[in-house]
Amino acid sequence: MKYAFWPGCVSKGACPELYQSMIKTSAKLGIELEELYDGNCTGAGVISEHEPELADALNARNFALAQKMGLSLINICSTCQGVQSLVQEKLDRDEAHRAKINAQLAEEGLEYTPGLVIKNFLWVLAEDFGLDKLRQQVVRPLTGLRCGPFYGCYILRPSRILGMAEHPERDHYLEQIIEAVGAEPVDYEGKNKCCGFPILTNNRTNSLKQAGGHIAEAKDEGADCLVTPCPLCHLNLDAQQPSAAQVIERELGVPILHLPQLIGLAIGIEPAELRMDRHVVGTQKVLDKVLAKVGA
Amino acid sequence: MAVFEHDVLVIGAGLAGMRAALAAQDAGANVGMISKVHPVRSHSNAAQGGINAALNEDDSWEEHAFDTIKGSDYLADQDSVEVLCQEAGAELIRLERMGVIFNRDETGHLGTRRFGGATKARTYFVGDITGQAILHVMYEQLLKAEARGQSPFRLYEEWFVTSLISDGERCLGALALEIRTGELHAILAKGTIIATGGFGRVYEPSTNALICTGDGMSAAWRIGAPLMDMEMVQHHPTTLKGSGVLITEGARGEGAYLLNSEGERFMKTYAPNAMELASRDVVSRAEQTEINEGRGIDGCVLLDMRHLDPQLIQERLWQIREIGIDFADVDIVKEPIPIRPGCHYAMGGIKTDVNGATPVSRLYAAGEAACVSVHGGNRLGANSLLDTVIFGRRSGAHASESGRSEKAPSIPDSVIEEERKRLQAILDRPKNGDRVAQIRLDLGVSMDRNVAVFRAAEGLEEERGIVAQMKERYAKAPVEDKGKVFNTDLLFHLELGYVLDCAEAIVLGAIERKESRGAQFRLDYPKRDDANWLKHIMLSYSPEGVRMDYAPVTITQWPPQERTY
Amino acid sequence: MQVNLKVRRFDPAGDGDARYQSYSVDMPENATVLDALIQVREYVDGSLSLRCSCRSAICGSCAMRVNHRARLACKTKVTEVAEREGDEIVVEPMGNMPVIKDLVTDMEVHWSKVRQITPWLQPTGPEPEREYLVSNEAMLDLSHTMNCIMCGACVSDCTVLEVDTKFIGPAALAKAYRFGGDPRESRDPAAHVQKDRLQYLSDVPGGIWDCTRCNMCVEVCPKDVRPMDRIMQLREMAGEAGVKGSIGYRHGGAFANSVRRLGRLDEARLLPDSVGFWNVPRLLSEVPGALRLLRAGKLPWSHAMPWHKPIPGIKHVRRIVDQVRKERKASSS
Repeated sequence: MKYAFWPGCVSKGACPELYQSMIKTSAKLGIELEELYDGNCTGAGVISEHEPELADALNARNFALAQKMGLSLINICSTCQGVQSLVQEKLDRDEAHRAKINAQLAEEGLEYTPGLVIKNFLWVLAEDFGLDKLRQQVVRPLTGLRCGPFYGCYILRPSRILGMAEHPERDHYLEQIIEAVGAEPVDYEGKNKCCGFPILTNNRTNSLKQAGGHIAEAKDEGADCLVTPCPLCHLNLDAQQPSAAQVIERELGVPILHLPQLIGLAIGIEPAELRMDRHVVGTQKVLDKVLAKVGA
Repeated sequence: MAVFEHDVLVIGAGLAGMRAALAAQDAGANVGMISKVHPVRSHSNAAQGGINAALNEDDSWEEHAFDTIKGSDYLADQDSVEVLCQEAGAELIRLERMGVIFNRDETGHLGTRRFGGATKARTYFVGDITGQAILHVMYEQLLKAEARGQSPFRLYEEWFVTSLISDGERCLGALALEIRTGELHAILAKGTIIATGGFGRVYEPSTNALICTGDGMSAAWRIGAPLMDMEMVQHHPTTLKGSGVLITEGARGEGAYLLNSEGERFMKTYAPNAMELASRDVVSRAEQTEINEGRGIDGCVLLDMRHLDPQLIQERLWQIREIGIDFADVDIVKEPIPIRPGCHYAMGGIKTDVNGATPVSRLYAAGEAACVSVHGGNRLGANSLLDTVIFGRRSGAHASESGRSEKAPSIPDSVIEEERKRLQAILDRPKNGDRVAQIRLDLGVSMDRNVAVFRAAEGLEEERGIVAQMKERYAKAPVEDKGKVFNTDLLFHLELGYVLDCAEAIVLGAIERKESRGAQFRLDYPKRDDANWLKHIMLSYSPEGVRMDYAPVTITQWPPQERTY
Repeated sequence: MQVNLKVRRFDPAGDGDARYQSYSVDMPENATVLDALIQVREYVDGSLSLRCSCRSAICGSCAMRVNHRARLACKTKVTEVAEREGDEIVVEPMGNMPVIKDLVTDMEVHWSKVRQITPWLQPTGPEPEREYLVSNEAMLDLSHTMNCIMCGACVSDCTVLEVDTKFIGPAALAKAYRFGGDPRESRDPAAHVQKDRLQYLSDVPGGIWDCTRCNMCVEVCPKDVRPMDRIMQLREMAGEAGVKGSIGYRHGGAFANSVRRLGRLDEARLLPDSVGFWNVPRLLSEVPGALRLLRAGKLPWSHAMPWHKPIPGIKHVRRIVDQVRKERKASSS
């Protein structure tokens, strides 16, 4: 299994632990990644909002780069997935628009043709890699770890462009994977709601109320931690958690794991290699529960 | 228990009601408006195809009037039709100014589509959501008037009228349940306008919403207002198999075909010139004949749009495409859709003049609840939306005007107290007795059998007996929910009472009219009989029994002729 | 087929608690959730209250939460929400609104926000003799928004309304677009119609910039109005109309400029670029968070450093950005 790897901006910036854990985890799973070093930001939906043609062109460039490698494109960010799927749907549908965009890419020797497969690591695991195969790789089952899924809006909505018709379980993969690695998924309503990151600059209070509210709800349902496939969500849920706790006037202290970290722990990678120390909300609680099971 | 006072009270907040309220406000009246649902939930929103007006250079109000009168099978009062058609153009432009997003042609002017029974294309439309589009704009205008505070206005949202108040001569207002609290109140007014719509729930199935239970018609009937032409019940040719949901005539206006089981466009036998766009009663009878003679499919015929440009469907018929997919598992772009005639519209209603005034002093009516009559024995498509705004406006203006010199009414407390007791007695009924839903269903199915597209003396007499039976069962039917807050069970019970009154009037009218005209087709009297029956049948309630009168049809320019399409 | 419903009941005259009640009814194969609920209230339990009217997705009365997601009950087939025959379907009233009884909510939250956005057309310019002349494209574009039946599903499930009742919300904002996008309202700033609308929507607490872009309203809308997309259109229009003062607007510009400069997002600069370098109180309030990131080794120092390198193909990115912007300017003038 080999993919063109788009790490996104945040894993190379404020969430370095995501990048590193992804490299280690995918290597151990046997998923080969060829990084798009020359890839550019997808715009995270913000550019799509203000300058949609620009967002289309920027994303098409990434698509074309992947196609030049002859590989499917994998990402580690719900937001990247959402933006890319939206742009791809538009480009695939509108031939005239696609031609215009390709004219802009031509100078770089790039061209986008419909048919590129773009999948988030979450989908790759469940669909291409397979849950059975994942179960076989687990050497350190995360028994006793109660883990709440947090999807991130853009990997769930709008469902019509996220392949839900062909893959109706895409809104359940996180729970399935949590189970596959031996942990216990926690059900709570906030799991598919918004973390608030997009309005952090504009309306900090609301943003942190959203993040804080979902963490609190998961905590009340007994979650030891949350896991998310989106580093932007991670920023609001982890990096902003102390501020969120202040805003909603509740103690939180719930570690937030990146998806590759959850998998990595279960398949036997050491926490240090997964940079479990690079979290604002310390992950020791999780490690205590999980590492005790080594050899069990 | 409270008493409220207004200059004008409008009952019903659909298109006619809101138009009346706006007109009354413009005239400076203090207006109250009661609606048992939020205004935008009114059934006006289900009208799909469009609204008529003779605005084009090559069209004239006279031609519109003639089409309407011919469509009515000459039962319409021609002076009223003249008013309707003369004022249509100006009213349409008023709607456009309010903001309705009417379809446009290439020059940016208002665009038209063809519609049934019309010799020229004069139906202005918004896709196939015209009713919804106009209703929402009318509600916006109400909010605007409220915000500007020009004259006092109060909306009694989710209040249910239990009866009109009368002192034996005049209507003084209404008694209504505040649904949210269960409290009974009185709302007095110098002029009361009934705009409560039709009675589609008398039949099963029907295109009508569950709220279309003839409330205003029955309430007016109970204080002595005559109901006119009640036997004229329009069965729309294209209602969805099963649920009876409406599929707009606009589909045929855009070129859809009607096919029987043999795949032929059978309308050539019945209306060789107008084909699918003959007037609705003609088309419904044609369909029913095909079905009865074995050329139907599972009790239906087919509406075929496969030959239409998908782009056109996307731009002009998107709602019915969704309806097909959601409610019939049919994509009209790819397959024909099964339809059959279904109860749709009440041409009859409370008798009014062209200003909405009924024979009962201070009582007015407009819209489907009224019978002016502009639709006579059969209504043309897209004339109903027009009817609501024209006569809504006129009745609102007139009620304000004539109310100016009137003294504010007052009532003794006992009136409210007696009504409260009446309602409590219903609530206190013992549990044994039929369920309201069962009675309504039994009634509806029998009406669909005996008083629908084809009628005969035997079936009509049977129905007279059935209605009487239903009334007996109703008199014993209990209400299960004894609560005060949002007691929908009680409301359904009261609505069934209204439905039964309307059913009775419909059956009596159908029995009395021994001819076929418009929507009334009698197998035992298959011909139109102008000599004896060019007149309206009026039914009035009295404790001694139903009184029957006749009213002449006003003829101005268009002597009755043979009616062919 | 057997249909099992678990309905949230609330009796205001009772002890104040909500409870769930299960019902089982036999329905035809193509029955909707509304059909089943009507069957319950007509033949099983007359005390169940819900709003419904047209049964054909046009009146908007029957919006409610089915399996925790707002939908129109009349448009929701039982087989859509019960995977296997007999699977329990949870039916609850809409969210973000007080419950009056059972499935009936107080929708004043919704109606008051509609009133807030001046929901009527304010046509400008000399009144024509007959109709205003407008293109059919403009009318068709508005028809998507006009499709809105004010059912409240988007209000029910809006993730921002859940934490902030000041937010105008998807339904009212979509309605605001319907006017903002109407060519009969003058876009000439001097006419003070559209510009005023957009200024208000941009400035008022809970306005267009408070949408968190989660697509929940797009997902639940039964009429494909796509309220969030309308809010985005309003944001674009606000920018074009010269309403630029908001943080939200600057945020968008900051993002694009970051990409033009580096090819990637420069998180360290994004905040000051958005809130304004002069916005000292706001910047100061972010310091504790920045320190936390620093302690965890997550602060992207490298991006903030002037020697940070852009991506290799940055000249192509810049070319694309400039080209697209030039073309856009040309087509809008």
